[in-house]
Order: sequence, then C-alpha cells, then structure tokens
Amino acid sequence: MSELTTLQKWLTSIIVRPGMLDDKIRLADEHYQVKNDKVIRPSLRLSPAQKIEIYSKGYILRLLECMEAEYPALNKLLGQNLFHKFVKAYLVQLPPNSPDLYNLGEAFPAFLKASQPQTYNSDEGVLMYDLPVNLAMFERCIAEVSRIEGLESRAEEGAGNEMPYLFNTTTIYTSPCLKLLTLQFPLVDFIQHVYNDLEPEVPFKQDSFICICRKNYRVNFHELEVWQWHFLNALQNKTNYMAAVIDTANACKVATDTIMADLILWLPVAIGLGYVYLK
Amino acid sequence: MDTTVINRLGLPNLGLGVGLRSKHYSHLMQNDPVVDWFEIISENYMNNFGYGRHVLNHIASIRPIVMHGVSMSVGSTDPLNLDYLKQLKQLADFVNPVWISDHLCWTGVANINTHDLLPLPLTIESLHHVASRVNQIQDILQRPLILENPSTYLEFESSTLQEWEFLSELVNKTGCGLLLDVNNVFVSGFNHGFDPEFYIRNIPHQSVVQIHVAGPTDCDTYLLDTHDQPVPTQVWKLYQLAQELTGGVSTLLEWDANIPEYPELVAEVQKAKEVLKGHLPNVPVYRTSADAVSNPVNHQMQATHE
Repeated sequence: MSELTTLQKWLTSIIVRPGMLDDKIRLADEHYQVKNDKVIRPSLRLSPAQKIEIYSKGYILRLLECMEAEYPALNKLLGQNLFHKFVKAYLVQLPPNSPDLYNLGEAFPAFLKASQPQTYNSDEGVLMYDLPVNLAMFERCIAEVSRIEGLESRAEEGAGNEMPYLFNTTTIYTSPCLKLLTLQFPLVDFIQHVYNDLEPEVPFKQDSFICICRKNYRVNFHELEVWQWHFLNALQNKTNYMAAVIDTANACKVATDTIMADLILWLPVAIGLGYVYLK
Repeated sequence: MDTTVINRLGLPNLGLGVGLRSKHYSHLMQNDPVVDWFEIISENYMNNFGYGRHVLNHIASIRPIVMHGVSMSVGSTDPLNLDYLKQLKQLADFVNPVWISDHLCWTGVANINTHDLLPLPLTIESLHHVASRVNQIQDILQRPLILENPSTYLEFESSTLQEWEFLSELVNKTGCGLLLDVNNVFVSGFNHGFDPEFYIRNIPHQSVVQIHVAGPTDCDTYLLDTHDQPVPTQVWKLYQLAQELTGGVSTLLEWDANIPEYPELVAEVQKAKEVLKGHLPNVPVYRTSADAVSNPVNHQMQATHE
C-alpha cells in the first residue's frame, strides 16, 4: 500500500468511525501503523488531534444537516436529539458511498425498521416503533418523486378530446413519478403541518393508502380510497386498463362494473393530479 | 458583460456571478437574474429531473453556466469513478457549460464518500497521482479541468511542496486551469501560518480561469470555510490583488448556508466592482463559539412540494 493510500485510509477511518476522538485516533494509528503526531504537522494553536477533529466533527454535522433536510417531519416527531442519535447510528452502519447526496438517506427507513424490537404488541409500541418508520418511508418517497423523471417533458396528448378514456382505455398509463404507499397511520396532515411550520398532531393508528406524485414540477401527496390505490397499483403493474380494473375488483371484493363506474368519475381527477396520463 | 477572450486557457471573463441555489428558484423564474453568469453544483443536477433541472434549463438559456463539482475526488487513491464522470459528461451535454471545475482534494477512499474536501499530502507522489488522474479526466470530458484550491485545516509532515508550488506543477503537467478561491487562501493561510498574498503572487496567473469569494467563520483557534456570511475586508483585499495579477477573470460569490434573499446576494457580489475601483468594504470576519459547518451541502436537498 502506498503512503498516500495508507494516509487516506487512516484519516477516513477516523472521520467515519463512532466514538471518542482520542480512541478513534489510537485505533487508526494501531491499525495502519501510523503515528498521528508524526503525520500531522502541529501548530501553535492546535494539536494534530484538534486538527483531525475539525474534519471528524464537520463530517457528522454536514450529513446531519442533509438528513434533517430530507426528513423534516421525522425530525419533528422524534425531536432533534433522538433523530440525531438514529442518524449517527445509521451513518456508522452505512457510511455514504455515493457522490449523490440524495442517495444518503435512501436506506434510512429500512435502517429504522431493523432497529426495532422483533416483537411488540401494545398500542404504545406500535406508535413508538411503527410511526417513525412509516414517516421515514413517506418522506423518502417525497424526496424520490421530487427528482425522478416525470411527465413534464412530454407534450400534452389527447388534448381537445375531453374524455378520451371513455372510448379508448388502452391509452391510460400511470405517471413514471407516481409512488404508492400503504401505511399504518394517516400522515398527510402531519407532513403538511411540518412543511407549513405548524404544530402537527400525532395521528392514531389507521390504515392509510397514499399516493405521491409530481405534476408541473410540484410534488403532491394525497390519501386515496382503497379502490383508487389498488387501481393505480394494478395499472402500474398490469399490461392494460381492463386487467387493472379486474385486479382492483378482486382486491376490493366489488363488482367490475362498480369499479368502472367509479373510474369514470375519478379519472379526470387522477389525470389532473398527474397520477395517470393519456398516451 | 465583458466576454473578451483573454489568455485563460482561451476561456472568457464572464463577469460577476453567483451560485444557482434552490432558495432562489422561484425568484429567478420570474425576474431578471441581474448577474452575468451562474455556477451550479454539478452533483445537484445529475440524475435530477425535477424542478431544479427545469430552472437550470431556463437559466442556461439566458446566462452562461459553469459546472462546479464537489465529488470528483481527484486526489483519492480509489479508482476513478467512471460512472460519475459519465453522468457529469451527460450533464455537460445538457447544460453546455463554459467550463467544468472541481477541487484539489479527495472526498473519501475504500468507496466511502465523506462529502468533505479532504487535504492531500503535498508530495511528489501526490503530484504524480493527481496529474495522472487529471489527464484521464480531461480525456474523458474532452476539455480542460479547472481545479480549485480547498480550505484546509491540517497539513501533513510529509509535504515537501507548498500548495502554490503543487498547483503550478500540476498546471505544467496537465494544462488544467485554476479556480482561485481567495477565501480559501485566506482561511488556509490563517490556519497554517503562511502569507496569503505570497500564495497568490506565486500561482501561475495565466492559468487562473475563475475566482471564488466567500465569507468564512472565525472559530477562535482556526478559520472555517462556511460560505454563510458577507465577504470580509481581508478576502476582498486578496480578490483585488488576484484580479490585478490575473488581468481580470470571472468572479463568483459562494453563499451556501444562511443564504440571503436574491437581491442581497446580488448586492454582495456587486461589491466586487467597488473593490476593483479601490473601495474596500469594511466587513469583519464573522466570529462564533457555536459549532459551524464547513462546505455546507444541505442546500442541495430541498424538494419542491405543495
């Protein structure tokens, strides 16, 4: 290993490892056969360890700010101290490996889920453990929808024909930036309150069917009726509209005709919000 | 705007510019940008097909754009990240930037990216290593790379070259250009006890393509490159010297935390005109005992939602 490689591995290991600075430096010195006070030039004002600390402290503070920006509602729910504890543990387990900062928080919901106890039954446990995971999943989806390819570059098609889907349903597709979530808590109001700097109320447990999408570069998220959620989910995964209708009818245990009748009323809304589009 | 091509790798003096930041998207979509050009953080627009790219597309249609990266990791001993360079080139094809810049630093090793600009030991080994990588990058991007001097908080005992010597040799070996951050010279000069003016007098001026100005933070025993304050008098003074020695190059104000409203940002960069007339603003270096963050990057994380 070249001297440059050794120095870089030595300094990186100190920066990204948890623990007290002196312990981290000692462990890195031992592992890489480096003596920090022989490697780092001291100055009148700062020791080698103090100079390293500027980088190790900056690493955590910088990434905490990024995670706060991606997960503002979760930060609000947990409180900054607890949020920071989870983020610090996350960064220890999964140090960033991508040049893209949007990948930094990608695995955070799964990390939170894995940090929970294996079993718990009480309502209090559900609130304590499942609510933060649900919120993290929701906020991660919002971050992803804000950046992935959407429909904005597509020319409006089907314009001039007010309801073409009544006659030709083969042209209906879900937006490429549509994301669907099933959650254990209704969280739309909670997130909206946080985004608007209002005090949110912690919701009670209740199954929630969420759609997150982007239209004209603005991200929107709404709670859907169960059949609406199943229809969009089926349309994302099925080859055609009728297959999605049948899938939805089976999932919701209602007649196909009922779904089709409801769709005639709801599709203009779904098109308006950018959930689906006409090709 | 003076776009006369002068001897800076044949690149123009774009005038006064600011960084394109999401806080100002709405303002910029409805108002004249006022400034001559914009610098973007490249990584913020790679794989980003949302509102940010839409704004970038608009701004690129009315003003020159320069792409400034923070994750090329030109000094890392990891293999070059070819996927990253491919995405960078794709973005360049979309933006058509006047030039592409990054930093003389490494951001991590063993596949870790600390998202910080870490210092290199300034040795002959490092020089050969960086020069080889700069040449490869320039071949891939098919244009000269412009490299910025970073703020640093530690020096290695093994260093045998001063930073200005290292940069001069790098320019000789690769033909790369320089982005002279006079605030970083000020910060590193204080932290390591060298004379910032001597540094600026001893870089190859004909290779300086761009200058950065910014406001640092005085943390008592060291200065930190926080990009969150007005530019202090000392940095303007170094700017004045650099413009005199280079014959005039593109100027960019960096402001990445506590970002002011757009008119205030523009007013700050416009101070450069007064500085060049010999009128130095009287602005002290901001002092704090609170934790401050160098190279803030969270400004890249804002979503646009209803």
